[in-house]
Amino acid sequence: MNKFVLLVVSLSTIGLLQAALQAQDLLPSETTIEEAVDHYIQAEQATGNIQPASQVDDYILLRRTMLDLIGRIPTVAEVEAYVTSKDPQKRVKLVDRLIQQPEFIEQLAYDLNNILAPAGKTDLELYLADALDKGKGWDHIFTDMIYGNYEEEMPKQAMQFVNLRINDLDNLSNATSALFFGVNISCAKCHDHPLVSEWTQAHFYGMKSFFNRSFSNGDFVAERAYGEIKYATTSGEQLDAQLMFLTGSVIEEPEPVILDDEAKKKEKADFEQLKKDKKPVPAPEFSRRAQLIQIALRENDRDYFAKNLANRMWNRIYGYGLVMPLDQMHPENPPSHPDLLDWLARDTYANGYDIQRLVRGLVLSKTYSQSSVYQGAMRPAEFWFATANVKPMSPRQYAAALALASRNPAHFDDPNEAASRIQNEVKAHRGWERKFVVPGERFQVSVDEALLFSNANEFKDKTKVANDRLGGELAAIESNEEMVQRAIKAVYSRPATAEELEAISAYVEARGDRREEAISQIVWALLTSSELRFNH
Amino acid sequence: MFQADPKNFRELRTTNRPDIILRMTRNDDTGEMFVGSSDAKVYQVDPMVEQPEFVPMEGHTSYVMGLVDTGKYIVSGSYDKSLIWWNKETKEQVRRIEMAHDRWIRNLTVTPDHKFVLSVADDMVCKIWDAETGDLVRTLDSHIKVTEHGFPNMLYAVAVSPDGKLVATVDRIAKIKIWDFKTGEEIKELEAPKCYTWDPKARIHSIGGIRSVTFSPDSTKVAVGGIGQIGNVDHLAAAGRVELFDVASGDKIHMFEGDDKHKGLVEQIIFHPSGKWLIAVGGDHGGWVQFMDVEKKEVIKQLKAPMHVHQMVLTSDFKTAFGVGHNRLAVWSFEAEAPVEEKTEEAAG
Amino acid sequence: MSVNSDRRRFLGGAAAAGVAASSMNLDILKAESLSNELKKSGKRVLLLWLAGGASQLETWDPKPGRLTGGPYQAIQTSLPGVQISELMPKMATRLHNTAIIRSLNTQIGDHGGGARLMHLGRRDEPNLTYPDMGSVLARELGRSDLQVPDYVSFYTATEGRGNAVGQPGFLGARYAPMFLTTDNKPANLSRLEDITDLDHKERADLRQMLSNRFAKGRVSESLGSHNVAYGRVRGLMSSEKLFDLSEEPQKVKDRYGNSLFAQQALVARRLIEAGTPFVKVARAWWDSHGQNFETHLEMVTELDHVMSTLLEDLEERGLLEDTLVVTLAEFGRTPTINASLGRDHFARAWSASLTGCGIKGGTVFGATDEDGQHVKDNEIGAAEMFATIYKAVGIDPHHEYFVGSRPIPLVDPGTHAVEEVLA
Repeated sequence: MNKFVLLVVSLSTIGLLQAALQAQDLLPSETTIEEAVDHYIQAEQATGNIQPASQVDDYILLRRTMLDLIGRIPTVAEVEAYVTSKDPQKRVKLVDRLIQQPEFIEQLAYDLNNILAPAGKTDLELYLADALDKGKGWDHIFTDMIYGNYEEEMPKQAMQFVNLRINDLDNLSNATSALFFGVNISCAKCHDHPLVSEWTQAHFYGMKSFFNRSFSNGDFVAERAYGEIKYATTSGEQLDAQLMFLTGSVIEEPEPVILDDEAKKKEKADFEQLKKDKKPVPAPEFSRRAQLIQIALRENDRDYFAKNLANRMWNRIYGYGLVMPLDQMHPENPPSHPDLLDWLARDTYANGYDIQRLVRGLVLSKTYSQSSVYQGAMRPAEFWFATANVKPMSPRQYAAALALASRNPAHFDDPNEAASRIQNEVKAHRGWERKFVVPGERFQVSVDEALLFSNANEFKDKTKVANDRLGGELAAIESNEEMVQRAIKAVYSRPATAEELEAISAYVEARGDRREEAISQIVWALLTSSELRFNH
Repeated sequence: MFQADPKNFRELRTTNRPDIILRMTRNDDTGEMFVGSSDAKVYQVDPMVEQPEFVPMEGHTSYVMGLVDTGKYIVSGSYDKSLIWWNKETKEQVRRIEMAHDRWIRNLTVTPDHKFVLSVADDMVCKIWDAETGDLVRTLDSHIKVTEHGFPNMLYAVAVSPDGKLVATVDRIAKIKIWDFKTGEEIKELEAPKCYTWDPKARIHSIGGIRSVTFSPDSTKVAVGGIGQIGNVDHLAAAGRVELFDVASGDKIHMFEGDDKHKGLVEQIIFHPSGKWLIAVGGDHGGWVQFMDVEKKEVIKQLKAPMHVHQMVLTSDFKTAFGVGHNRLAVWSFEAEAPVEEKTEEAAG
Repeated sequence: MSVNSDRRRFLGGAAAAGVAASSMNLDILKAESLSNELKKSGKRVLLLWLAGGASQLETWDPKPGRLTGGPYQAIQTSLPGVQISELMPKMATRLHNTAIIRSLNTQIGDHGGGARLMHLGRRDEPNLTYPDMGSVLARELGRSDLQVPDYVSFYTATEGRGNAVGQPGFLGARYAPMFLTTDNKPANLSRLEDITDLDHKERADLRQMLSNRFAKGRVSESLGSHNVAYGRVRGLMSSEKLFDLSEEPQKVKDRYGNSLFAQQALVARRLIEAGTPFVKVARAWWDSHGQNFETHLEMVTELDHVMSTLLEDLEERGLLEDTLVVTLAEFGRTPTINASLGRDHFARAWSASLTGCGIKGGTVFGATDEDGQHVKDNEIGAAEMFATIYKAVGIDPHHEYFVGSRPIPLVDPGTHAVEEVLA
């Protein structure tokens, strides 16, 4: 696609100037991500006289890091090993080890799929896992997903993003803008954007023009060499859409190919044959989708792409974006930390849009290891990043947490067996994912979930007193205090507090005549309490 | 006579219509043909001519679902619940029975001696009328009115045996009742349950029913037609189905089912006078004609019709067939084509 | 860092002071709308969702004598000059509380898209999930002091179930439907036998204590909602008997009849009576591409009986005045009859009905042309339909929610309720 010559008609000169100015001010590119994060976050807190929350202890940090990187809680054995280790490098080593585990990519692919594909569609997840495993950068993945990679692996899976929306070009254009560039342009369809003077109908139809020649041909997304978009302004004027990117850059393109009826008939027949042969339609010489890739990643226009990646990954790790809402990245809604976002965007494109590298830096910062509890009187708002945010688990994380926390912890004690046993236990509970909702912005837990845990037969098994269950091990511990300690560590990955020891012991003592039932009920209360449901 | 060979069966001509032609009757002596339409009219028409003229007979207010020629009169029945006797010459109403049934009339037939007209309707009653006087002679009433799933039952078709002794009526839930024509007693109940699909889970309604019934020329067998079991009851998505029973024993002789390319309802079944083979017509969005060999128990031939066919009549010499249906009338021939054309057809096949 | 100061001003209030906002922004807004509270008090909505698309020609807008009209006749109703399909003889005698709308043009002719539109009242937007009608009504009409579910949705057939959106969207899961699919009783509403009621309660208390300890010093909407959800469990369990038809006299059960739809309508009446603000009973599946007239003979006959019985029952109990009963679908069906004697999807000119609360009974709004192919008078879309429903139960359709700083009006800007059908 590089052979096509782009002619830029107009440039977003203001954007350029800003970028140039900021580049001088930004921390040097050799700075590590974690240093940059802490630098900018702390500097901003200083201007607002904000006192950040304290750093968390090893227990919480281990749990948080494992959930964020590999999607599960630690076992009791892992907790013990981590907190007793005296290695000063144990945190960095932990992060580097977790990132290398296959679960890291599995979870990343799952989370990205939840953002990019409608519920229940998982082809894209297969592709993403494969692409991330091969070390493809986000730019490469973006190309595979928008333009197609019919010479590469899993082309059909990669194109699911486009294919699922190909029959609704408005949706496809807007989803692409929102999810890859952080810009929701749907308001600009019928009129110039009411809040954002930069976004006009020309932008909306410009973005749509990149897709309007595309269509679904059997299993594949194909593109014609002709087809224009016309639209009416609010004043009724009829305009031809230009091939315009969000930055205002316009691509001048060759005259569309004109086919007579005979040629169209032949083209149709050719497409039908390819459909039958289950083969992709060769891309036209001038592909509009290819142009979108080209322009979105081009030096002067790549800001949206890079910042969107940085902002979405930031949101994934910190539970709140630098720009919120995530799809409102426009001048009227500036980032809470503009320099930090600029720095992260520059860092990510300078390093091949490497998500793994970006995530590693984000979790190694001190900002990451702040407590989610704020002891002071006035808890700072989320955009200060002075506390950790409490994040609802994804369905997959929660299913894994329930699986592991409800198992007899001794099952995972043997270091030679632990890895495969954990994996088996987690995989065996994948079915539970369907019981929970993928959390979006402002996620709320439904009463269905509470009813399920309160009264469903299928959950009863998790809390029962049986050898392979947590309840079984607890029942065998004579001392109530030890029992409570063990229970809290298995479920919450930390030691029990005095308050918990007292309350839970009292609960068992009140049921001295039916201790097993009492223990089963305690396991229920622990598993259903918020502390297991959230990543904190 | 009767040497017709299904192999030669081919379409001769079609006539387009804006309406749905649901019923037809043809007097073999005079060649007069009348059709009943979804526009509530009965028309006299000669489909053999170029651009046939449709001479309207107005009186009904809904779909004409039954049309018979008693020799003297044309009698029609409709979803408007009424029966009308028409003068063939003047096209005027001779008699009108306003509420002949409590619910929608689905079909009519006439006895071989042309003395009685039989009507069936969704009140689940078959009524026998004096063809001359219009007097109600007898009522055959034992089909259940509400299905076990709580829906209204529907009584689709009626036939009288060639010997004039038996009546057969067929309903939505695929029950076949055999009655003694003279006494009105119910002799036997047969069933073809596969013709009725009740979907209790996905869509919670039903489809199908037995839509057509006819006796063999020797009056010993009865053939019923409908559609097989359907997965998606929103569509006529199963092959047409014909079941053949021995009347005396009640045993099922055979079930004929066409291939997957010919889906839909069997709207009518016609026995060849020899009793050796059967024709079924019907369709879904498209239509077809299907030939079945009674002795060999197999489908001999299926071919597409130019429309969903609601009814077909044949000339008594079995040389020509006339069909009516969705937006079209069609004429077919049993006579072999000129050799040159036949060759072409083979090459194409 | 002037950009940031601007941002803080922009966010306003507590956030400007750098302090985290309380967890339930939306509920603060709800308090603001207290002035409307009186008007909405005790109002309820019962939606009969005719999934798959019922035919307007075989129900509310017959075209007798036209080729598009099909075989069924039109019959005179209790309203002078108004006819409906002869398949609805019972409704024909009791249209005095009902308004028929014959002029919907909703444009979307596929099940998924049409059903979303007619559940949300507007088109989807990426990254903002709109609540469906039920969630909006649960929120606006619900009373926190009532221990009944505030949004119950029945959909037992499997076809099209995924299209019948029940989504609280930005209102949050608090307003999500109790979605009943396999049984007329909600799942997990009754206590398992192996735990006593007391232990069930005290176990929940222990959970609460652990969760409260965890929530101390932490602020999050999601976290708050988790405990709110568990807090509702015991109350909802106590409403279990509302779903139990053995509590209903045999006479009443007989009146409704034995069909699944009838039984669910009766449960719906019990819920409405107990104060549930929104109940949806979906009757699927009307998608009569083949054999439209047979399918409608079955299903309209059932609808006619169930709907008229329900309305009568509500009226006798004095509930109809405060209960709006709506029939709606994703679209209607084509006037043109296909060769399988079916009718296909048709969103260009179709009908709905509104009965009871806030409705000027005995009215017909809008008209289609003689073949039913186009709307002739008073065309409306989904937004107007929703505005009318909201206004009928005392909700200002132009009320705005705030998602972050973005105002979201209840219905698309520039659309208005159909005043002609409002009392």
